[in-house]
Amino acid sequence: MPMDFPTFTTQLNDALLAENGPNLAYLLRPTSPHGKDLVKEFRNPTRISLSRYEGSMQSPWDEIAIQYVLTCTHIAKRRPGEAFKEQSQLVSLFYRFFTENRGWTLPALFSILRDLRDLAFDADTHAKYNGQKSESMEEAARILVKAFGNCMTDRTSPPDQSRKWGVYYVVGLVLKSYFRVKRISLSKNVLRALDANTDMPPLSTYPRSHQVTYRYYLGMLSFLNEEYSKAEQELTLAFYHCHIDSHSNQERILIYLLPLRILKGHLPSPELMNRFPLLQNLFTPFISAIRVGDVAAYDRALELSERRLVELNLYLTLEKARELCLRGLFRRVWVATDKGTRIPISMFHSSLIISGIDVSQEEAECLVANMIYKGLMRGYISHEKQMVVLASNNAFPRLSDRQAPFALM
Amino acid sequence: MSTSASSSKPTEENPKVIEQQKPTEDSQHLGVLEEDDEFEEFPVADWDDSQTDLAHLAGTAPGAAKSGGDKLWEDNWDDDDIEDEFSVQLRNELAKTNKGSSGTAMEH
Repeated sequence: MPMDFPTFTTQLNDALLAENGPNLAYLLRPTSPHGKDLVKEFRNPTRISLSRYEGSMQSPWDEIAIQYVLTCTHIAKRRPGEAFKEQSQLVSLFYRFFTENRGWTLPALFSILRDLRDLAFDADTHAKYNGQKSESMEEAARILVKAFGNCMTDRTSPPDQSRKWGVYYVVGLVLKSYFRVKRISLSKNVLRALDANTDMPPLSTYPRSHQVTYRYYLGMLSFLNEEYSKAEQELTLAFYHCHIDSHSNQERILIYLLPLRILKGHLPSPELMNRFPLLQNLFTPFISAIRVGDVAAYDRALELSERRLVELNLYLTLEKARELCLRGLFRRVWVATDKGTRIPISMFHSSLIISGIDVSQEEAECLVANMIYKGLMRGYISHEKQMVVLASNNAFPRLSDRQAPFALM
Repeated sequence: MSTSASSSKPTEENPKVIEQQKPTEDSQHLGVLEEDDEFEEFPVADWDDSQTDLAHLAGTAPGAAKSGGDKLWEDNWDDDDIEDEFSVQLRNELAKTNKGSSGTAMEH
């Protein structure tokens, strides 16, 4: 039997009395079956035509119920811009209730915020398609930040029923929206507020979906700010706590984690790469070149994937990883001399020339000096004698043994 | 993205419904890594270690590499026995250098 409006409000009421968050979420979701029923019941409802239902429930729920009908109607009539506006109203009304209540309301909050963001996405896409301007996602981000504040400032609920349990999920949505509209610098405000709050439960006690999403975005922000050490740390945790069936999320984490781990001196094993064919295609040429010190092959890979890598913001990182490949080449020179401690610079120069890297002897000397400076080779250069004097012990330290691998980049 | 709010995914309930919605969402950029792709909503809110890559670590630190018990990463790939065209050329070059400096500069 189709659900009519009075039944809808009764069910809302029941969910509120029972403090049943998941059910409340279900009732407020435009895709639930009763959404269609209500659209049919009212045909062309307006706020005025629905105003007779004001007072039919405790405030603000009478208005929330009305907003729900309006949102569903616009969705059914394919008017995403209007749908987004009505959903914004619904969310604002919900905040009035939310701030007076405890954590049981969080499933409903998450659900209506997700819908808000999705509708903003559709509204912007629709407007763009029709050559119109639309800033729904920016608006959605502003509304989402309010939810963040409303979760954060819960000072009365007992710890296990606190609205603070919604903080990281909401931050995830906020950051996702900032990334979408390319306003990632705004993230700082939210992250600063989060840092300033000292009585939050530890992140590791939150549901894994919240942890992983938050760490992914934090890792991405750190990566883009060239804070590689922090980025590597956050993305590593995001990857290892991610659900293995969420393949595309694991893949997205690895796009940025792989280059960072390579820089650190950890190459992905074939076992890992086999699970992610797209990443295998993109990164294998670089990894193979590093394994054998084939600098020319590395340069070809850089050139071939340049556009791709620039789009993904990865070009710089892989350009930096070239020195690992160079280390491999110089190590092969060392092996060819039966691991001698005195190797003429001309040998390193020759190795570059044979590899097809056309540089002068001075440049070769400079490259060796750089290797030594970065701790990738241990020794010194006698410039007068044009000789590299290498440490008799551990001349090419293992890359992963470096204390601060990201410090000298 | 799909139309309207139907791309919303419930966090806890109805994981089956979500599975059905997914293909339409992904089909637009099948097989291509896109800068614009978004991190997806997880179909469930929480899960335990056995459903993550932590499972094979047996208590070692994540990302430690093979020597540290994590088989997903290798931190030791230096190979002293690569034999290819390059090795041969390199040794020939070395022989020339040695001849030129009549052995005074090199230990070997």
